[in-house]
Amino acid sequence: MADEQLTTIEPMSLADIAQEQSDKSFTNREAVFEVKDLAVDYSGAIAIREVSLDVYKNSVTAFIGPSGCGKSTFIRCFNRMNDLVPGAHIHGDVLYHGKDLYAADVDPVEVRRRIGMVFQKPNPFPKSIYDNVAFGPRVLRLRGSLDERVEKGLRQAALWDEVKNRLKESALGLSGGQQQRLCIARCLAVEPDVILMDEPASALDPISTTRIEDLMHDLKREYTIVIVTHNMQQAARVADMTAFFSVDVAPDGNKRTGILVEYDRTSKIFTTPADKRTEDYVTGRFG
Amino acid sequence: MARISFQEELDELELELRTEGELVLRSLRGAVEAVCSQDLELADEVIAFDDDVDAQYFEVEQGVELLLARQTPVASDLRLVLALLKDNLHLERMGDLCVTIAKLTKLTKGLPPDEVLLEGFKEMGERAEQMIRVALRSLQERDRVAAESLLELDELIDRANRRVVNRLLEIGHDLERREWGLRMILVSRCLERIGDHAVDVGEQTAYLVTGEFREFTDASR
Amino acid sequence: MSASLKGGLFRLALLFSLGVGFLILGTLLVDVFKDGLPYLDRTLLTNPPSVDPKIAGARPAIIATLYIGGLLLLFTVPIGVFTAIYLEEYADKTRWYNRLLEINIQNLAAVPSIVYGILGLAFLVRGIGLGRVLLAGAMILTLLVLPTVIIASREALRAVPDSIRQGAYALGATQWQVVSRQVLPAAIPGIATGSILALSRAIGETAPLIMIGAVTYVAFDPTILGPFTALPIQIYQFVRLPQDEFKLLAAASIIVLLGILLTLNAFAIWIRNRYRRSW
Repeated sequence: MADEQLTTIEPMSLADIAQEQSDKSFTNREAVFEVKDLAVDYSGAIAIREVSLDVYKNSVTAFIGPSGCGKSTFIRCFNRMNDLVPGAHIHGDVLYHGKDLYAADVDPVEVRRRIGMVFQKPNPFPKSIYDNVAFGPRVLRLRGSLDERVEKGLRQAALWDEVKNRLKESALGLSGGQQQRLCIARCLAVEPDVILMDEPASALDPISTTRIEDLMHDLKREYTIVIVTHNMQQAARVADMTAFFSVDVAPDGNKRTGILVEYDRTSKIFTTPADKRTEDYVTGRFG
Repeated sequence: MARISFQEELDELELELRTEGELVLRSLRGAVEAVCSQDLELADEVIAFDDDVDAQYFEVEQGVELLLARQTPVASDLRLVLALLKDNLHLERMGDLCVTIAKLTKLTKGLPPDEVLLEGFKEMGERAEQMIRVALRSLQERDRVAAESLLELDELIDRANRRVVNRLLEIGHDLERREWGLRMILVSRCLERIGDHAVDVGEQTAYLVTGEFREFTDASR
Repeated sequence: MSASLKGGLFRLALLFSLGVGFLILGTLLVDVFKDGLPYLDRTLLTNPPSVDPKIAGARPAIIATLYIGGLLLLFTVPIGVFTAIYLEEYADKTRWYNRLLEINIQNLAAVPSIVYGILGLAFLVRGIGLGRVLLAGAMILTLLVLPTVIIASREALRAVPDSIRQGAYALGATQWQVVSRQVLPAAIPGIATGSILALSRAIGETAPLIMIGAVTYVAFDPTILGPFTALPIQIYQFVRLPQDEFKLLAAASIIVLLGILLTLNAFAIWIRNRYRRSW
């Protein structure tokens, strides 16, 4: 962070303070996604149902919950990755800036350009570092200098300094944490609006995890970030809003579907959650 | 139930706090008895005994610190730990106030007492004792209603305090008893402060149960 | 019986199997080389066959074999790879016709080569009137090894981790882009190896070629649309001739054939090593 310069700190007026407080509340920010009564089934088996929530601009929203609660299924609805799973059906609405993401005339390719995704296990392509980051702009035929896009992506992912002298080397030679940042750089190179992260740090060591979390903090100034995490403390650290999902078991014990239990500011979820199930989960008594 | 060792640690910490409460009650009884009977030896015992209270205070404080560092409690667990931390302080302060009473008793050695005032102190001491018990029980049972009842009990102590002040004004012209009287105002004040601390413990209990912190009473009244 | 004793016996059994295989192969090779090496010369390579063993060569057969090899590559690789891509990446595997297709490909790989020969005779030579030409031979051999190429290509495509595809899709690539830019390049080593091994097998096939009418005595250089013979057939013919010298010529021709096969296999290994990536 050597580029930071000292600026004089001006005292905040009461109006500014009030603005900052209300900014922190998020609810009067623009909603990037509006989910209404969403359900997903795989060939008839319902994975998750009755989910309604809004994701706000320039925030980090976390989905937490026990395994099997459908949070990964849910996050994949935001960039239509569930389209690739045979037998997957989406019911309900997902609105992106007010437009139905699943309308017949919407091109999934365009959706995925705007809404990028980083996966749990880093999945760099078996190509050079440069070609990894350049892949997106190339397939999407984005205009502008490819070199600049690659550099910008790598800088934003805090990886540039480590790889700038070996861009032509294989991406597979990087460490796990570096590979994940490469995947983030790859995602950023196409200039998305939203970045989805499905357990981005769960395969990484603690130091790499911290770096990724710091990155999220930086990136949310320009992007909107949604993460799935099974690490509650991570959600507590990075997320502005947290949604807790749980598993609803049918009386006969067979049908298990995911449901949204509570969605609120992270501070509230971790100090005074409204639902007992949320309380039990975050205190570790269950789940 | 998961986090068994965590739950056990929490339970143990609460137990330590209750133990501290019992020690404070012992101090209080000793201090009030010393004043009322003008028992200087008892006063010395009370002063020495405060070391036990302080040791227990330190135990609880350490316990809270370790719990926060190792277990990262959230939600109701966090509120409990924070409540324990603050109650610990209140109890320790109560202990110190008992020591002050004992010291004042020693200072007034040989001075003629006023029976009416001593009666008043006895009553205030009983009230304070009752309040401490209610506060501790309401914490143990997470009883918000009981916690809120402390407000009324505090009102009784306050009235007793006012009666003491009035009595002192009555006897103020008597030069012999005036010095004793001035010192005794402080004793009264200490007992009244003990009552306030008990109310604060009740507030913590309410916070623990409801998640909202509300002062039971506005200090400006 | 103790564990280490069992382990020792097991190793012994493995070495024995290895030894038997090597021994048999070694004996054959030594025998062939002993007989054929003296006769491995320019005459063999540049002269057409003749009744006189001193000037007989296998040139037309060698050329024909090389032509067949080339055509085989040209035919099998595109058809095989594209079929594999369709089956792996595009086909809905739950549909009955795709499952049927899959089963049939497995079966076809096991069909004896002579059956392909009969097929070729009926449909290509006579049916569409192609005649007994080199092209027909190449086409039949294509059909023979196509299932193998398809299966090998499919395995190579399957070996590409799905996470690569997911990552590419998530960036906004279309299915075609994912396949052509990520999956296929990553599968090249497997595909190349499979193709060349299939090719090696085909070059050694004799029965189908005989069925469709490869002639045993060809003295001129073959053309694609003309009569032809192939190296395995030539070897067979040499052996059948009365003079003993021809048998030695056969041995020499075997060495040539082995040489071609070894070169192809070495090429396969080279491609595999060159494009090998560790996941």
